[in-house]
Amino acid sequence: MRLALALVSVVVLAGSGAVVLKETKATWQDHQKAYFAQARLQAKSDAERASLESKAPKIEQTIVTAFGSSRVERCESCHIASDDPRFSSTSEPLRTHPYSAAMGDIYKDGHWERKHKFSEFGCTSCHDGQGRGLTKADAHGEDEYWPTPMLGYTVQADWKKDNATHLHGAEFMQANCAQCHKERTFAGTALVSRGRELFFKEGCFGCHRIQGISSGTIGPDLTEVGKERKLDYLWGHIADPRAYTPTSVMPQFKLSDEDKKALVIFLKSRRGGSPSDSSVDQYKVEASNATPVPESVAVVATAIIAAKTPEERGRQLIEGYACLSCHKLDDHDGGISPDLTREGLMRDHAWLMSHFQNPRSLISDSNMPSFALPQKDFDDMSAYLMTRTSALPAMTPAQTFQTLCARCHGENGNGKGPNAIYLDPAPRDLTRAEFMSTKPQLRLVSSIRDGVAGTSMPPWGKTLSDAQIQGVVDFVWSQYVKGKPRQIKARKLPDTNPVAMSADSVHRGEGIFLQRCTGCHGRKADGHGPNSIDITPRPRNLTNTAFVQSVSDRRLFESIEYGVDGTAMPSWIDYGLSQNDVGDIVNFIRSLNTSSK
Amino acid sequence: MSKDQNSIGKSVVDLPANVTRSIFRNPLPTSDRGRAATSFTNFFLHIQPVRVSRQALRPSYTMGLGLISFFLFAILTATGVLLMFYYVPSTTQAYDRMLDLRSSVVFGVILRNMHRWAAHGMVACVFLHMCRVFFTGSYKPPREFNWVIGVCLFGLTLLSSFTGYLLPWDQLAFWAITVGTSIAGYAPLVGKAIKFILLGDATVGQEALLRFYVLHVVVLPLVLTIFVAVHFWRIRKDGGLAKPESEPAPKRVPVQVEIQDDPAPIMATGSIAVAAPARRFTIQGLVRGPLVKVGRLEEDTVFSWPNLLVAELFVLLLTIAGVMLVSFFFNAPLEQPVNVMHPPNPAKAPWYFLGLQEQVSYSAFWGGIGVPGIEVLLLLLLPYIDRGKEGVGRWFARQRIFANSIFLLFVIVNIYLIVIGTFFRGANWQFVSPF
Repeated sequence: MRLALALVSVVVLAGSGAVVLKETKATWQDHQKAYFAQARLQAKSDAERASLESKAPKIEQTIVTAFGSSRVERCESCHIASDDPRFSSTSEPLRTHPYSAAMGDIYKDGHWERKHKFSEFGCTSCHDGQGRGLTKADAHGEDEYWPTPMLGYTVQADWKKDNATHLHGAEFMQANCAQCHKERTFAGTALVSRGRELFFKEGCFGCHRIQGISSGTIGPDLTEVGKERKLDYLWGHIADPRAYTPTSVMPQFKLSDEDKKALVIFLKSRRGGSPSDSSVDQYKVEASNATPVPESVAVVATAIIAAKTPEERGRQLIEGYACLSCHKLDDHDGGISPDLTREGLMRDHAWLMSHFQNPRSLISDSNMPSFALPQKDFDDMSAYLMTRTSALPAMTPAQTFQTLCARCHGENGNGKGPNAIYLDPAPRDLTRAEFMSTKPQLRLVSSIRDGVAGTSMPPWGKTLSDAQIQGVVDFVWSQYVKGKPRQIKARKLPDTNPVAMSADSVHRGEGIFLQRCTGCHGRKADGHGPNSIDITPRPRNLTNTAFVQSVSDRRLFESIEYGVDGTAMPSWIDYGLSQNDVGDIVNFIRSLNTSSK
Repeated sequence: MSKDQNSIGKSVVDLPANVTRSIFRNPLPTSDRGRAATSFTNFFLHIQPVRVSRQALRPSYTMGLGLISFFLFAILTATGVLLMFYYVPSTTQAYDRMLDLRSSVVFGVILRNMHRWAAHGMVACVFLHMCRVFFTGSYKPPREFNWVIGVCLFGLTLLSSFTGYLLPWDQLAFWAITVGTSIAGYAPLVGKAIKFILLGDATVGQEALLRFYVLHVVVLPLVLTIFVAVHFWRIRKDGGLAKPESEPAPKRVPVQVEIQDDPAPIMATGSIAVAAPARRFTIQGLVRGPLVKVGRLEEDTVFSWPNLLVAELFVLLLTIAGVMLVSFFFNAPLEQPVNVMHPPNPAKAPWYFLGLQEQVSYSAFWGGIGVPGIEVLLLLLLPYIDRGKEGVGRWFARQRIFANSIFLLFVIVNIYLIVIGTFFRGANWQFVSPF
């Protein structure tokens, strides 16, 4: 026992010694001692030399109060030579902070005068990082939970390796310059301006709101995204949205690395107000911007050259408003949204105007933003699109399919075209034999000829003749379906709902719906029930008014009573629903879709 | 005059001795009588018996777990008080204070680390101590009530750890407490009320932080101290640590006892004192119970001074060494500041509640309230249910195989659930492989 006691006492003493040593012998002291030694060698007078000999390392601390909350900055405890011009060629951390005219520094009488003095600005207002840290890992913000790692220098452990290679470089600090230097033409924030340009040019303004700049509502508000997110997230989310947010509908834009960098720097500069504003000033800015001309409009308006006809103006607007960052027109293809090349053959002016004003009034789950543009601009753009009526050159059904259909339905017909993830409802998987082989040919033909209301399937009746349509159907059948049409027993189905529409019927139908249907179709009947994530094709959005109104009672009855082959919709007649029950359900569904939105 | 000089001289020379004698009424012992006396003439030491059984001192018997738990509590109190000089229980300031502890306060890192790891260690050691007491049957009469106090102490330890978990006010803390208090809210009838009293609000916020701080820093330590004091008192009064019935008690030799009222002991003066079967005693007090040592000195006991004290000192230093080593090499976690819009997926309770959370994932009421409630009830009633008197003082006694098996099963299942909850549950509480 005595021996054990002696041993453990030694361990405790040694441990205490180690703890004390760790706290009192710090790296920053070594750096300062190295600095004093080197400064002594360069000292010009004995007095200077003597004072350096007697100097003991101490924490160099600045407290910066100019920018809102008071900040403690201890960076100079290691970077003690940052204001000493004699150390411009030493290695870090004992290197002089660069001087440059671009940063406003003035060269006078043989020496530089710094414009952004450390005593006023500190270090983290430009560089980010953790001011109070006294070790490199702490101070540079290398801990993955620190929200502001040093911009362009520090990569945190949980950043994706692919992104991290792009996130080095002093130019990322321009995002911080822009916090105070907000002028659009400031030379030091060139990449911020380029990023802002891209924000418009690539169509980001349509989905995202940035206060004073844009008012999109589909994507998150980016007014303060620079404060909320780190470089890794910003870059990664632009490069591959679904890697960070699996359910995101944000398109994956094809951008070069330089463009991505400029966009990331622009977004990082969005901190919601400048630290140099007092809090009262910020409110003044907000109030005066209550109803500004959206910058998106102003930017484009100045770029449009005088056009002779509305159609010509419309064409310029379509390019100016970045429609082609998503849509396809001739050779310019954003790769995300439908092809507008023959739009004049597919839609009419009224449809286009309604669609511009609110895409969701015609296609319930469209992810196209509602652009807040002047009515005249919509008119001109519709006028232009209505001129797009060039006939399809002669081609085989296979070629027709690849030209017109593959963009959504995929070149393999499996519904996985390049657009498909952005479309809701998703394009039909034509290889699903159980589905295709149980639907009458007439339905397939009319879907192509008249389109499917409420979905992105347009009417091709004016582009394709009846013979061409039949040709495409035959092609699809032979190429993709690979099944035989199945004869379905004649089913006893009413043509119209035998149960009269009434408040009672709707109430009963709602009851059954809540009990039976919400697992897939969701409590809001929008197709987002808890089971819907695992089902392909997804359950129908029953509040898609355009679609529901285009479907006959008979078809609704058939789908509910006998299910839909090739989907997860079961035949409810096997689960005890009577025809009256189904009639109530149909009345309930109709009641959800009475208003013409 | 010389006499005065002598006395003055004497008192000057005696000064240090006077000082020490005024503080320490008895000198360090050099005889057995002195060693016995230390155990009842010292304020701190008189909780301990004069003699302690050798078996109680064997490391393999108790592994010092109870002592380790107590010393961890002492370390927690000491480091906790030091931390209190820097911490502020405000939602706007708490996280910043934690950052300051890490970057600005001298010894801040080691202090916080020691507090964190000692806390986790205390939960684990208290649990292991409970297992030891069970497997050695040391809850049998007369120690039933001490077992009940011990179970209460276990609950208080868990509560202390839980209330302290919230204080850093980072994502880890916030969501762990959100999960834990939600489980408490599943209790029928009183669940919502309990949750509201705990949180002071519908959700975790400034009120909860302040309440948890007060509980953690004042209320629970006070209650814990009182329970610990009673726990130690009952150890003494129940006859020390449980030991096995070894040989049957030696036949008592009847000894004639004369009781005299004269308090002064009878001293031999000049003539030789006759050693006769008759002994003389003055009454100190009347004690009931199996504590009559008259005429029978336990063979396998040793003096507390120095044996027990050396053992305790060893355990204390071992505990300090352990906590210090772990704190030197491993940093307590500090994640992002609280963001109520961003629950982590999955949001996990502290490790000692992860078994509960795993159970809750099957059934909110039965998993979170029902089964744990039954477990706690059985634990509390254990000594009154299991009334067999055999197998005390030995590990895994054959006679208690049934009870030991059930308890072992309970321990293994709970550890298994905690392991599953910690390593094998990912987003949406789906089963994931940690490899």
